[in-house]
This record gives sequence, C-alpha cells and structure tokens, in this order.
Amino acid sequence: MKSQSEEKKYMPVISQKEIDELRNVIKATSQRIIAENIERMKKTDTNRPKAMQYFDEIANFGTREKEIRAAKESGKKVIGYMCLFAPIELILAADAIPVRVNSGWYDTSKLGDRVVPVEVCPMVRSTIGAKMIGLSPYLELSDALISALTCDGMTKLGEILSDYKPVWAMVLPRVKDSARSLRLWNEEIKAVKRQIEALTGNKIRQKQLKYAIELTQKATKAFRRLQELRNGSPVIMGRDAMLVNQTYMWDDIQRWTEKTEALCDELEKRARQKIWACPPDTPRVMVTGTPMIWPDNWKLPTLIEEANPQGVLVADELCSSERLLYDPVGVDEWTMNDMLKAIGERYLMASTCSCFTSEDGNEDRINWLLNKVKEWDIQGVIYYVVRGCMLYAIEYTRVKKVLDRLNIPVYYLDTEYTREDVGQMKTRVEAFLEMLTARIDI
Amino acid sequence: MITAGIDMGTQSVKAVILKDSEVISRGKSFSGFEPTKAAEQVVGEALKKVNLSLSNVNHITTTGSGMDMAPYFNSTISMMGADAKAGVYLFPKARTVIDVGAEEARAVKCDDNGIMIDFVVNERCAAGAGAFIEAMARALEVKLEEMGPLSLKAERASPINATCVIFGESDVVTLIHRQESKPEIARAIFDAMAERVSSMVYRLGVNPDVVLVGGVAKDVGFVASLKRKLGVDVLTPEFPEYAGALGAALIAVNRVKKM
Repeated sequence: MKSQSEEKKYMPVISQKEIDELRNVIKATSQRIIAENIERMKKTDTNRPKAMQYFDEIANFGTREKEIRAAKESGKKVIGYMCLFAPIELILAADAIPVRVNSGWYDTSKLGDRVVPVEVCPMVRSTIGAKMIGLSPYLELSDALISALTCDGMTKLGEILSDYKPVWAMVLPRVKDSARSLRLWNEEIKAVKRQIEALTGNKIRQKQLKYAIELTQKATKAFRRLQELRNGSPVIMGRDAMLVNQTYMWDDIQRWTEKTEALCDELEKRARQKIWACPPDTPRVMVTGTPMIWPDNWKLPTLIEEANPQGVLVADELCSSERLLYDPVGVDEWTMNDMLKAIGERYLMASTCSCFTSEDGNEDRINWLLNKVKEWDIQGVIYYVVRGCMLYAIEYTRVKKVLDRLNIPVYYLDTEYTREDVGQMKTRVEAFLEMLTARIDI
Repeated sequence: MITAGIDMGTQSVKAVILKDSEVISRGKSFSGFEPTKAAEQVVGEALKKVNLSLSNVNHITTTGSGMDMAPYFNSTISMMGADAKAGVYLFPKARTVIDVGAEEARAVKCDDNGIMIDFVVNERCAAGAGAFIEAMARALEVKLEEMGPLSLKAERASPINATCVIFGESDVVTLIHRQESKPEIARAIFDAMAERVSSMVYRLGVNPDVVLVGGVAKDVGFVASLKRKLGVDVLTPEFPEYAGALGAALIAVNRVKKM
C-alpha cells in the first residue's frame, strides 16, 4: 500500500477533518436513500416475496462489510474490480473475496468534480469522490483492484485509483471474434492469475479452480432461473429482481445462490397460484445502456414502476444487472489449461458491453437485445445514458434502427448523477408509458 | 358535452373549453408563484365567458409540467400526447408536431388518429426554447414581439453557437462588438434556435405535414428559420399556445365517450 505522504498523481490533498465531515453527511444520506428505496419497493408491491427480506439486508452495505472485515482479519484478501471482465473464479480459487467497487452515490460525484471535469462520466467521478472520503466499504477493504480497460472513463479511473491501491490493468481487445484477440486476452487472464497468487500467497490449483467454477456455474443457474421467471405475467417487480441481481456484486456467492434459489421457489409457487406483482397487462419495459448502481442511481427503475400509467421492468441489458451472470463458464476438460481458456472465453465472448466492435458492428449486443425483446414480449425499451457515457450514447442510433424495424418504441433518456432532474425524467417516462398504453387502448 | 383542458405550463396556465369537440372558450394567465390559483381563475373566467360553470363540465383533463398542481381534473395526459391530439385535430394531415414552449422544445410523431408513436424532448437546456428569445431580446434591447419582424429584415446570416442561454448571450455580445446590425443578430438567434430544434426533429424523422405549436410558433422569425432548416413547410395554427390545453380537452372527449 502506498503511504499517504507520497505525492499523488491525481488526488488532491484534503484535511482529515473535511473528509470526516463529508463522509458523515453523505453516509447518513446514503442510509436514508437505502431505507427509502426499499420502502418504496415494498409500497409498489405490497405483497412482496418474503425471500426479498434477505436481499434488503444485504442491500444495506453494513452487514456484508462486517463479514468481509472479519474475513480480512483472519487473513483473507479482498480483490475489487470495476468492469465485469475480472475473472471472479480466479479470485475465489485463491481464497480471496471479489467485490465490485463502482459507485452509485450521487453526492460523491460532486466531490469527483474536484479531480476531473464535469464532462467525465458521473460513475467515474462518483467512484473518485467515494475514494476521496472513504465512503465505499468495498473499495476501502480491497487489497488490490482489477481494472479492465474497457471505456475511456474506466481506463483512467484505474489510473486515478492507483494513487491508493495496486491496480492491475487488463488489456481488453475491442474486437472479439478473432483468434488474435482471444490469445491476447488469455495472456491477460494468466497475468492477472499470477498477480492474484502473488497477493494472496495462494497458488491456484486445479481442484480449487474447479470448485470456484462450479460455484459460479451454480450462481449462474440460479440467476438464469430468476430472469426466466420474469418472462410471462409479472411475478416479481423489476426493481426487486434488479436488486437481487446487483447484490451478487458484493455478497457471498454461495449464500447468494441459495437465497436466490429460495426466492425462485417462492416465485414459482406464486406463478402457479396466479399471484402477480402488478396487473398482468402492465406495459413490459426493458432498460439498456449505462449501468445503474445501488443505492442512489435507482431513480429510473423507480420512476418506471411508480409511474402513472405504471410500467414493469421485465428485463434489462445492464452490466449492473442482467449482464452480470447471464453466461456460465463452459468447461470441456477440467484441466488447468482448459479451465483457464474457458474462463477467458466466457469473460470476453459472452460480454455485450458497448466497448466492442467488429466488421459488422457490435452485433452481439444487438442480437442479445433483439432476442430478449422478442422472447420476453417487451413492449418498450428505455435507453438510459448518463452524460459522458460515449459508447452507449453512440450505439443508441444503431439500437433505435433495429428496434424501429420491429416496431418496438425506444426512448433515449439521458441524465446525470443527481436527484434534481427526477421531475423532468418523470414527465418523459410517463409520456413514454402513456404511449405504450395508447398502443393498446386510447 | 362540455369538456375542459388545462395546460399547467412552466410560464403560463392555459385553459380550453369544448362543446362537442368545438372550441367555445379559452383563457390564459401567468403561472406565477401559485399556479393552482392561477388555473382556478383561468378556468373560471373561460367558463363564465360562455355562461357555464364547473358543474356543467363533463370531464377535465390536465397536462403540462405542473399537471399535478391543477385545481381540479378527472384525468391527465402527457404534454406529448396532448400535442399529438391537438396537432392532428387542427391539421388532419399532421404527422409531426413540434411544440416550442417557454422552457422546453419537443417533437412528436403521430398517426392519423392523433396518437403519438414516438417523441423527443430537448436536452434540458433553454437554448432551444422561448426563454432563449426573451433573454436575447433583452441583450438586444428590443421588445420580444419585435424580434421576429426584425430578423426578417436581415440580409445575411451570421452564425452563433448557441448551446446554452448563457453562452448564447456572450456570443451575441461578440456580434454586438463586431457591430453587426440588429436584424442580423436577431436572425442569428432564430437560426441557432431552429438548428437545435431541427436536429431534434431529424432524430425523429421529418414526416409532413409538420405543425408547430406552443407560444414560440407566434414568432415569425423563428418560423422562417425553422422552415429553412427543415426544408419543408411548417404549419402554424391561429392560437398555437393553446395546443396543449386543446389536446387535453380533446382527450377528455374520448374519455367521456369511453365511459
């Protein structure tokens, strides 16, 4: 770890007094927002699944923070990551704890403005701000960070955070479907494996890696089961499902899998009894674009599901939710080499991140969206972009074109890490939902 | 059947009263600090003009950014939904309805029944809306209503880069320092606004007939600039600022029929 006195590349010097004051205020707001979000979710579905109670607890960062802190005291290492390209299985196989550290706090994005200009992606600014005041328990507890070089913001965020922690950059090829790219990526996987081994002092062996892969395969199975249950009449509100998905980013994976399976059992029972979370003719909405991180950046899902007329989120294409675990690591032979290759392929090929391109464009993402729209009977798509998120903003034009062909309405909604624009967003979201309803009946 | 539409706009409150889908009365007032009271007065006066009272009204539909603050209503409709309805009522061939109000510009694509099928809204900046003209009129020291006619006298266009009211104002100051004439500066202002509004409309697709509503449609300078930028004719109704209230009142008719 670098000492505080060492000259920082990016971070300004702030007095401990100011840090403490800011952290206390923002932490209190964060606690209030978490409680409020959960209350509102309970109000939207007054007969919310009982199994959600567990996820509500995990959504309050404190519970998991205590566990991770205790594990650290017993000698475990914590490895944080920003983008979904960090190979979780290798972290688990080295007996370390993986946590995602992207920030969803609105207030810390204003602190990030002291370091980088406001044009920069607010998720990046917010993560910088969170680090400035030590707000994120997972970022603070991380012994090292894995930074996949995806978009410009994430690339530089890793550089900025290296003022505090060892940051392992992983070079991500932007063209997926080539043997060259896969070779490079597999080298990156091996390099990060060596770094994980050096940090933890644990050599990753065949047995542990197999166990870790099986663990995430089981998690993927539970995850897929939950998303499948969102097809058909709404048995769970979108926000609830999104919260379950998202807690995977910091929860204990085995326990998360068990709790998700239990939730699915409950939901299947409800589906059989035709107990719906909202009227079955509620317009079925999907969101795609910039990730939405708990707790503050929950405003769009909240608006959609509390709107008049109401919508229900039945799917999303967000790296903070449905993209997290959609695809399992597929292993043929449980040899070390094959497992590493399978991990490499899963993280690169299965991703539908907007950072990719090819001769045909980013067709994996487009096809994923089209399949989802058709199979999940989506009636409208909200394309969500925060200011400064160039890659998603650019791909909107392409997505709109293909959805127009299917006669599926899509609305481009751009926003910031702020609570102040909720009124304007509400007007737009309600007009969009009204339009979806009008297609059925006016 | 008597129906009413109330448009709780950002700058003014408008009301339209219909008798069997025909306009029989309208009223308008500044929203001010108490928009609910303002609306109450506007609706009351509009009804009084035609010897009616609230009890005669079958259904009231409200719209506008402050729709939740309307004093009384039976239902609501989004501003975009109201624009589409009013646009097609006023011009049956309308398929694109552009609404430029005090603080927002939007465009709606609609079908022959006046049902919206797509829409875009300007990006939270007043440079594409009426408030921009007001600020610029102040900078040029001319009356708001003089801006349009003045701009039509311009012999050439001097581009300004209006992405925001504040930056727009400093660009105008630059033109003043360059000793450009007032008509040319006025034209530059409308061109910049029309540029922003038209790029928004292009994203939606320019499907004729194109109709412009909202208070800014009364400004001949803006209409001329918008026609140039879109390359098609732009139709404007007689009372463009009442389009939202009219659309809401028409939606109210549908809702009464459905009951």
